[in-house]
Amino acid sequence: MAYQMATPAHSAHGAPRAHPSWSPYDNNGGTCVAVAGQDYCVVAASTRMSTGFSILKRDSSLFLQLSDQLVIVTAGFQADSRTLHKTLQTRYVQYQFAHRRPMSVGAMAQLLGNTLYYKRFFPYYTFNLCAGLDAEGKGAVYTYDAVGSHERVGFSCQGSGKDLIQPVLDNQLKAASPLVLPPEEWMTSLPLAEAVDLVKDAFVSAGERDIYTGDAVEILIITKEGTRKEVIPLKKD
Amino acid sequence: MFLTRSEYDRGVNTFSPEGRLFQVEYAVEAIKLGSTAIGVKTKDGVVLAVEKRVTSQLLEPSSIEKVAEVDEHIGVAMSGLTADARTLIEHARVETQQHRFSYNEPMPVESCTQALCDLALRFGENDDDEESGGMSRPFGVALLIAGWNEAEGGGAVLYQTDPSGTFAKFSAKAIGSGSEGAQTALQEGYRPDLTLAEAEVLALATLKQVMEEKVTASNVDIAKVAPRYHLYTQAEIEAVIERL
Repeated sequence: MAYQMATPAHSAHGAPRAHPSWSPYDNNGGTCVAVAGQDYCVVAASTRMSTGFSILKRDSSLFLQLSDQLVIVTAGFQADSRTLHKTLQTRYVQYQFAHRRPMSVGAMAQLLGNTLYYKRFFPYYTFNLCAGLDAEGKGAVYTYDAVGSHERVGFSCQGSGKDLIQPVLDNQLKAASPLVLPPEEWMTSLPLAEAVDLVKDAFVSAGERDIYTGDAVEILIITKEGTRKEVIPLKKD
Repeated sequence: MFLTRSEYDRGVNTFSPEGRLFQVEYAVEAIKLGSTAIGVKTKDGVVLAVEKRVTSQLLEPSSIEKVAEVDEHIGVAMSGLTADARTLIEHARVETQQHRFSYNEPMPVESCTQALCDLALRFGENDDDEESGGMSRPFGVALLIAGWNEAEGGGAVLYQTDPSGTFAKFSAKAIGSGSEGAQTALQEGYRPDLTLAEAEVLALATLKQVMEEKVTASNVDIAKVAPRYHLYTQAEIEAVIERL
C-alpha cells in the first residue's frame, strides 16, 4: 500500500468516515430586545421554545429577574441559559451577603461577561442582554456575544429575530456612533410609551417572518418605581 | 491534668478557664508599643496622620512607610509590628483588584476591612505543616482603614481593625502608644462638619501632643482619601505644620 501523507477520506475498511451525529448544543430560538431611555428601560422577550420545526413550549420565559432594577434576558440554548441563570442568581445573592447592598447593573454586566468568558473553550450557547437602571437612574443596556465580549449600548436585540429587529431599532432610535466627535447622545429621547409601542411592533413583525419568534412577548418596563410586566400575544403558527 | 495559668499562653487557640485567648490579648498589647497613628473623617474625605520614629540621624526617613495605598479609594495607616502589615496590605490589594476584575467597580471599604479581619483570624491553622502558609501567631498590628464608597449613601469612611479580627467604624480614631491621650484630644476637637483642611490640623495637632519629638516634615506622614488616595509630599506636610 502506498504511503499516504494526507488523512484518508475513508477508513481502512473502505466505509466513509463517520462524523459525530450528536451535538452538545441545540438552538431553542427566541428573541429579546432592550431599549434604554433617560429614566426607564424596556426589556422584551418572546416566549416560544423550539427545536428544528417543532415547538416545545409556548410560555417559556427568557428572563432572569434579579431585582426590580436589574434583569438578564437570554436567547439561544435553553439548557445553557438555565445553568447560566442559576449561576448568576447565586452570585447575585452572595454579592448581597458579602457587600450588604444590591448589585448594580454595571457590576452584573461585568460578572456576566466574566462568567461567559470562563467558558471560552466550551461556551454557553447563549445570547444575552443585561438591562436595568444605573446609579443615576438612567436606562442601561449591555449586549453580549456568546463568549462574554460586551458593551454598553442604548438598545440592542439578541436571538433568532435579531437580523429582523436590530436594523429597525437602528433606524428608529438612531444611535450616534461612539466614534463621532464631539460625542453625541447615544440614548434615545423617546418617551416610554412610544418605546414600548416600538418594541411591540418589532415583535409582531418578527413573529410574521421568524418561525422561532411567536406565541407571546413578555415586556418588562423598568422605572425607578419598580418593574411592570405586560404580556402581548403573538401569532401561534 | 493541672495547668497553671501561664500554660494557657502557649497554644494560640486555647481558651483559658476565664474564657480568654492570651496570645490574642498579647498581640493587642503589642500595638500599644507601636508609633501613634490617627485618622479623622470628614464629609469630604479622611485624613490619616502617623508618627515616624526616626531612631538615628543616619536613617532615611522616607524609608519608613506607615501609610500605604491599597486601592485608589482605600488607604491604611498602621501601628504595631509593621512587618505584619505587609501581609495584610498585600492581601487587601489582591482583594480589591479581584473585586474590580469581577465587578468593574471599586470594592466597598467595609468588604475590604472584612477581608482583612478574616485573614487576621487565620492564625493557629496548619500548625503541623510550616509549608502550607498557615500562621503560627496572630498579627501584631492594628490598622486604620480610610476609604471612600462610590455608591449612593457612600462617601468617606474610617475603620479600625486589631489582631482579634474585630473591626469598628469611627469618626476619628487613634491607635498606637499615644492612642489614649490622642483619643481624648480627638473627642474634644472633633466636629462632624469639619472641613478637610481642619481635619488635617486636628490630626496633626493631636499627633503633636502625643509625640516626644518636635513635629517636622520628615517624622510624620500624612495621607488622605478624598475621594482618591494621596500621600502628602514634604512640602504639603510643611504647609499643614504651618497652619498648626
